[in-house]
Amino acid sequence: MTDHASQASPARENNPTSPPSPRLLRAFCAMLLDAWREFLDAKILLLLVGLIGLLFAVALTGRIEPQPAGKNYLDLSARAMAADLEGVDLSQESVASMAGRLNGSVVWIAKAEPLGADLPTGQWNVELKRSFVPLVAGPLAAEEVQARFGRIADGQLWRVSKAEETSDALGRTVGMQSFQLTVAPGADLRLLWPHQFSLFGDSLDLTPPRGAPLGLEVLILQKLLTTGLGGSLLLLVSVVVTAAFVPNMIRKGTLELLLVRPLPRWVLLVMKYVGALVFVTVLLGLLVLAGWLITGILAGIWSPGILLALPSLILFFALLLAVSVCVGVLTRSAVAAMLVTVTYWAVLFIAGQMHNQVVESRLREENVGKLRPTSVVDSLRGAKPRREEPLKAGRVPFYRTAVGRVADGIYTVLPHTEDLDNLVDRQLMRDLAVSGPFRALVERAEFSWSQAVGLSLLHTLAFLAVACAIFSRRDP
Amino acid sequence: MNSHAQPTPAVAVKGLEKRYGSLQALSGVSLEVEPGTLFGLLGQNGAGKTTLIKILLGLVAPTGGRASLLGQPVGGLAARREVGYLPEDHRLPDYHTAPSLLDFYGALQGLTRRERQARIPPLLEMLGLKGREKLRIRGYSKGMKQRLGLAQALLHRPRVLFLDEPTDGIDPVGRKEIRDVLLEEQRSGVTVFINSHLLGEVEQLCDRVAIMRRGHLLVSGTVAELTHIKPSWLVGFDSSPADLCWEACQLEPARPGLWRVHLDSPGPDGLDRFLAEAQSRGLRLRHLEAERATLEDLYLALATHDRQAP
Repeated sequence: MTDHASQASPARENNPTSPPSPRLLRAFCAMLLDAWREFLDAKILLLLVGLIGLLFAVALTGRIEPQPAGKNYLDLSARAMAADLEGVDLSQESVASMAGRLNGSVVWIAKAEPLGADLPTGQWNVELKRSFVPLVAGPLAAEEVQARFGRIADGQLWRVSKAEETSDALGRTVGMQSFQLTVAPGADLRLLWPHQFSLFGDSLDLTPPRGAPLGLEVLILQKLLTTGLGGSLLLLVSVVVTAAFVPNMIRKGTLELLLVRPLPRWVLLVMKYVGALVFVTVLLGLLVLAGWLITGILAGIWSPGILLALPSLILFFALLLAVSVCVGVLTRSAVAAMLVTVTYWAVLFIAGQMHNQVVESRLREENVGKLRPTSVVDSLRGAKPRREEPLKAGRVPFYRTAVGRVADGIYTVLPHTEDLDNLVDRQLMRDLAVSGPFRALVERAEFSWSQAVGLSLLHTLAFLAVACAIFSRRDP
Repeated sequence: MNSHAQPTPAVAVKGLEKRYGSLQALSGVSLEVEPGTLFGLLGQNGAGKTTLIKILLGLVAPTGGRASLLGQPVGGLAARREVGYLPEDHRLPDYHTAPSLLDFYGALQGLTRRERQARIPPLLEMLGLKGREKLRIRGYSKGMKQRLGLAQALLHRPRVLFLDEPTDGIDPVGRKEIRDVLLEEQRSGVTVFINSHLLGEVEQLCDRVAIMRRGHLLVSGTVAELTHIKPSWLVGFDSSPADLCWEACQLEPARPGLWRVHLDSPGPDGLDRFLAEAQSRGLRLRHLEAERATLEDLYLALATHDRQAP
């Protein structure tokens, strides 16, 4: 007792002189630590984080093995030499529609031998034949073949390390050339090369017998682990756990113990919010990093596009947490905060999907009569060009129906979180050379980072401001 | 500075009003508590005690009047830095241990890590919580929670302590320990503002007491002053004084040969007049004894009055 009485008084002597910024920082660190303790205390966290761990463990049992495909891609590259493919926009035109670009020659592979296994990492000795119409096209120099072989709009399929012309002068005169090439797969060919993806060693094949392009497999795996199932599970866990944060903080008997501290009320609420957000950010960061590492380890693809999923997921959770905090302050109920937040999430998802339908229907109408976008590789493989067909008589495009208009109107006033997902997909598809109708959709200019981020932030701040205003004025 | 200047009151309240919708929780409450006082606030449930404390802590805004703590307007950050509070029915976050909870509140209060590390272990020892540092609060008994609640109120060495039922749920030995802690705080200059239903404890502990009823402050003063507001005396004469009294004085038989005299005036004048009157009627005094009322008598008298009031 006497010891207690004789000690210097921190409150009486030190506090009034200590500057406010360290005090705020100290309080912030304390709130952060408190949020961490509360987060760890939730039993459901362990269960669901365990589920996510299981998902990753299953993914780690996966094997991605290349299938023999070198001859096919050599043939494709040779065929592509018959046309000028510079500047081809895959989302706008098809190779099959580029008759005007044909240069009056036919090129084919006469002989191809791998120097080792038929893998996207091996080298090939290739005998290339070229037949041309002397009046339309001239002979090709070996240097030009070296520069052009393997270059198509999808990227660099082959790198030519050596090219020699083996044809004689007579052959050149009558329009027959032959070349001896040494080639190796280019960086982009690896993404297109068919691979077999199986889980649990080789016991569960997930791809067709001929395999699927590696880029597509990596995209699906990355999406599944981050913005797809893995991210959704983690966000759901986080929503459930953090829904109780504010109601627990503002329950009678606890709230008073916080409000008597020398901090403005709104600061306490914002600190609690940021504390929860920081820990979910750390978990999301680990999730995305793990997704990136797993696809890197399994497939050897270290494309950084997936890291964009992190800001996208954080921004989305920041919005959900702001809604949860706002409802928590209003109702003081964790169950209400959780239910309203999950419902809001569902509304955002449905509105986003409907908006995608609206954009797609607009895109279809704009492209009626035009060729559907396809990849050079698919075109060269002989995929038949398909034109966008007009809607059946009497049918109105979705974006002009009442439902479409209402959906678009609702989407306008909501934060464009589905756009964030589309923008991550766009980046992944670009990085991993994945094309198709969805690529054409997400390449649309109306999906922009500035709009998606700006609107999400604006809504987040609005929900937080309402929560702070109520919290600051209400008697405990 | 004027050397004769009055010290700034620890608590000063003037004409305080608080209305919740149609309910008038406080009606013109005025009160001053000097620094270093152990002050007890009494009143039935709904009398307005908690509302008054919440206004003083800045938790609730008054609808009228003025209130200050140590000369600072209530509710300001400067005032809150000087205050420790133990609410009634407090609920400490149960995922904490005692040291982690005190560390958390200490940091929010602005204490440095070094100050917290120096302060928390002796505080836990002082309040009998040593040896339970690793136990989560959800495993605490009610008494332990109460001790921890008191620890968080004392942690930053506040100059004013507001304690709502501080010994609630604590055994008699523990109560004695807590009383000692509070007296120690008082000796070091801390003003202690106690809200309690344990009248005996308040009477034993507090220098000054106030009683509230229906949002009004009825009486305020030292325990001695309050228990002598309506003093009574046991008197004995050589013959019966039955017809002696007037309107400011009531007389009733107490024990054989002794009468109880109730005087409206607490000062000596009332007794002098009574004795002079007796002497003038030829009565000779044989016995005179002051009968001191307890705080409980006063409290119950006011409560009874409350029930009888329309």
